[in-house]
Amino acid sequence: MEKMAVKSLAHDFSKGLWQENPVSRQLLGMCSTLAITNAVINGVAMGLAVSFVLVFSSLLISLLRKLIPSQVRIASYIVVIASFVTMADRFLAASFPSISKSLGPYVPLIVVNCIILGRAEAFASKNTVARSLIDAFGMSLGYILALLILSAIREVLGSGTILGYKVLGTWFEPWVIMILPPGAFITLGILIALANKIEQRIKLGR
Amino acid sequence: MSLSSRMIVVLTSIGLLSGGLLVGVDILTKERIALNKKREIEQAITLVIPGTKTSQKLYEEKDFAVYGGKNEQGDMLGFAIQTFAAGFQDKILLLVGMNPALTKINRLFVLDQKETPGLGAKITSDEAFLKFWENKECTNPLRLRKPPVASAGELSPSEVNTITGATVTSEAVLNCVNSSLEKVKRLKEEGKFGGDGKNGS
Repeated sequence: MEKMAVKSLAHDFSKGLWQENPVSRQLLGMCSTLAITNAVINGVAMGLAVSFVLVFSSLLISLLRKLIPSQVRIASYIVVIASFVTMADRFLAASFPSISKSLGPYVPLIVVNCIILGRAEAFASKNTVARSLIDAFGMSLGYILALLILSAIREVLGSGTILGYKVLGTWFEPWVIMILPPGAFITLGILIALANKIEQRIKLGR
Repeated sequence: MSLSSRMIVVLTSIGLLSGGLLVGVDILTKERIALNKKREIEQAITLVIPGTKTSQKLYEEKDFAVYGGKNEQGDMLGFAIQTFAAGFQDKILLLVGMNPALTKINRLFVLDQKETPGLGAKITSDEAFLKFWENKECTNPLRLRKPPVASAGELSPSEVNTITGATVTSEAVLNCVNSSLEKVKRLKEEGKFGGDGKNGS
């Protein structure tokens, strides 16, 4: 019995990393994913901001899940999510002004990020606090990883740098398109295709 | 409790709680955020008016401000004009550092911009754009050099470089600087900056 519980908790966590990765499998929150992955630092900051909001709103929503009447649940979730987003936004502006500036409107826009409302509706509103927290951590990590990969590819090819440090020599003429919106679509498309291919392999191998 | 009153109670209390929380967050962060903004401008002023120890806002209107920079002895070292250009995407917020007589541009600094990365966004780069704006004569309006030249020495004293592929952005910055210069000279003649602007009164 106990083994089962541990196994299901492990599954709650790990499914966010691959099987149900918010970016590559669920294709949620694409707008900010495409927009802010032009540099690794932006991707990391955005990933952390979304994680903060996701973890705390999952916690609160699963705590309140029995109190909130289902007719007003979406409104309640949005109020909870918006509060945490505002907190994250103000914290960034106070402590990391340059990051806050480069993320621009995408921090306040976390309010409408489908990953967060999606997890609230699909998981936190139906499960215990512990499971919801673990689910939120798994999803956050999956999101951060996806943003990291995406932004690393785009920054290296688009600016020849990683976290602002030059990694490619002067011979390399940066592909400007990679830090523009088309580069985001191309990279994301290739990554999702790759993820699908790997998933197919795994299924066939079984 | 009936369903509708429960809906009202739950939603109202969630709203009140989060409102209260956010008031707290605002009180905690307000000062830091204001300070960050102020510090950003002050740092930029020391950059565009070299040697500045204290700076002071001399004139302000919507999207336009003039700061004066002074050294430790209180001598006026120059003016910094905060102004905006209509860029390719959005406003480009600029800070133009001038000498006290308003005849020379020390440096240019971009406070905020949303130009195309890799093209127009090069206006923030020293190497690609800003170094061609250092120490420019501006008794007459500045002109753009097209096509751009490789080194700052090839430009005449009243010419500035274009960015290849970002003519709109380069022109926007140039026109903005030229019109702001005229405005500042007019304001100075009208005595808006207090005193003659040289003795730092």
